[in-house]
Amino acid sequence: NSAFFRSIFRVLPLLLVLSPVNSSSCAMGNRTTEIRVKYENILSHDIDELVNMSAEYRDRCCKNKKHENSKVFFCNDTQEIESLQGMACNMLRFFHKQKISKSFRWKAALVSCGTLQLLQCKCERHKKEK
Amino acid sequence: MLRMTQTSTVLSIFILFLHTTFGESGCTSADGDGTFGDDEPDNFDIDCFSQLEFRDSYSSLTCNFTEPPPHNTNYTLALCTKEDSNYVCFNMEKQEDAYFLQFTDILSNKDICMDSEMKKRVCRSLVVTDIVKPEVPFDINITYQKEANEYLIHYSTPHSWKKYLKDKLIHQIAYRQEEGTWKTIESPYLQVKLLGKNLENDASYEVKVRSQPNGDYFKGMWSEWSTSKSFRTTREQHSTESSSSVVVVIFSILGFMLSIVMIVLIVTFWENRIKPAVWPNLPDHKKTLEQLCKKPKNNFDISFNPESFGYVHIHKVDGIRAKAELENFLQPSTAPETNIPEKFRSGSDQKMIPAMTDKSKLNLPVTYGGIWPAEALHRLLGTSQLAVTEGNCSSSTYEVCHSNGVPLCDDAFNLSSAPPPDPSHQPRPEPLNGDTASQMLPTSEMRSPNNEEAYVTMSSFYKIQ
Repeated sequence: NSAFFRSIFRVLPLLLVLSPVNSSSCAMGNRTTEIRVKYENILSHDIDELVNMSAEYRDRCCKNKKHENSKVFFCNDTQEIESLQGMACNMLRFFHKQKISKSFRWKAALVSCGTLQLLQCKCERHKKEK
Repeated sequence: MLRMTQTSTVLSIFILFLHTTFGESGCTSADGDGTFGDDEPDNFDIDCFSQLEFRDSYSSLTCNFTEPPPHNTNYTLALCTKEDSNYVCFNMEKQEDAYFLQFTDILSNKDICMDSEMKKRVCRSLVVTDIVKPEVPFDINITYQKEANEYLIHYSTPHSWKKYLKDKLIHQIAYRQEEGTWKTIESPYLQVKLLGKNLENDASYEVKVRSQPNGDYFKGMWSEWSTSKSFRTTREQHSTESSSSVVVVIFSILGFMLSIVMIVLIVTFWENRIKPAVWPNLPDHKKTLEQLCKKPKNNFDISFNPESFGYVHIHKVDGIRAKAELENFLQPSTAPETNIPEKFRSGSDQKMIPAMTDKSKLNLPVTYGGIWPAEALHRLLGTSQLAVTEGNCSSSTYEVCHSNGVPLCDDAFNLSSAPPPDPSHQPRPEPLNGDTASQMLPTSEMRSPNNEEAYVTMSSFYKIQ
């Protein structure tokens, strides 16, 4: 019996090592400067275009949605990257809505994918059009 | 038990071997993550450039081989990106001697990989934002500004209405004169100025423009040159300047000459005209009198010294009374008989009448006020003696007195005692003043207490005239 348990204990640590460690869907590391520079020179212009395009859909969106649904775009303190990841992934879901124009959906997908690429994050079970 | 332990050990070692062998991506690479960053480049020389916002939101990548590949070998270039633990590659489209690809993501780091039939895939890292080649500028306009003598060169770029390179370009303007040497100017703006003084007059020039990222995050290379635009400089640049300088010289010379003329005129006329007008002298009575009165003839005596009139026969004026005679004298047109007092109508009337008549016909030859000829003065003295009446003396300015200022009017004055005057009598010799004065003194005692004295003044002569 003692030999059996010793063998089990040897395997378990190996299993722990071999098991995929993926508690966070974003890359680790301090990349604040790189993120800021890329945002200022590239992503900010795309976001401005998306905001201008969404002006015509502003009233329509606010009438149909309740305020508790705005939690999907809420930014938590000290969790900026996770919050941005959540916003980008939620925006990708709108890509499949048929009531929104194709050009707007395309721009929203572009911004979402650019945000995720910038943060080096990924969504759980998301689909991206290329 | 021993068998189970051995089995579990072998199984764990096998799984560990598999894990280290395959890795996460499952692709073979030196890094173990599927990338080819540490793979040895295998003579992989290509030049690539990217064009941002080539069409709408798409950017493009264009690559070509610096060394032509050997013939009969098919090469494939692919742009690979690591996404979500996956390595996604897109093959580039071959266009003549270059490879072309459109894409949207410019944020992620990419790799350019070459595949061939003979060799394995070779990749190299690629940063799209560091190999940017802007689009060609266009619409060059040259405008001449005459006032400033400058040539304004204005051009446009497609990136002005795009997002990423809008204000992040630097432009190079090249110009030359008819197959001459190119000269360049760099500017971050969409216009530059060429000074006219640095260009030849009436010459033909050629201008072209290109752009490059300014290095603020985006880096890259010069774009292709724009189409050249020609213009010709004006002829009037130098003539305008020369004419203006000639005008300035002429005006300066005229001003200098005018100042010299003014100085000469001032110096010449200072004493005679300018100074008397600005600072007039105090009036001199003699000179003023000479200016007012006419100059007497040469034979006229204008001296006030009695001694100079020694040749003049001076009659006493004791018998002069009548004021009317004086009025007749002043009014020769009226009848002299009416003014003659009754007292005088005696034997001497006939003598008086001719005298009065003569007086009426007398044309007083006075050339200027107050100065009488000697003969006329004598006649005036003669008639005046008969014209003075008793008790009618006053301080009239028309009463003629003796030259020594003896008052004329006196109540006790008796004309009958005085000898009748003879208009043609000869003048008495001198001296008269002292004898006359001694003779006149008793006469003065007989006069009335009227102390008004009559003096001859030059103004009286003027008025008589």
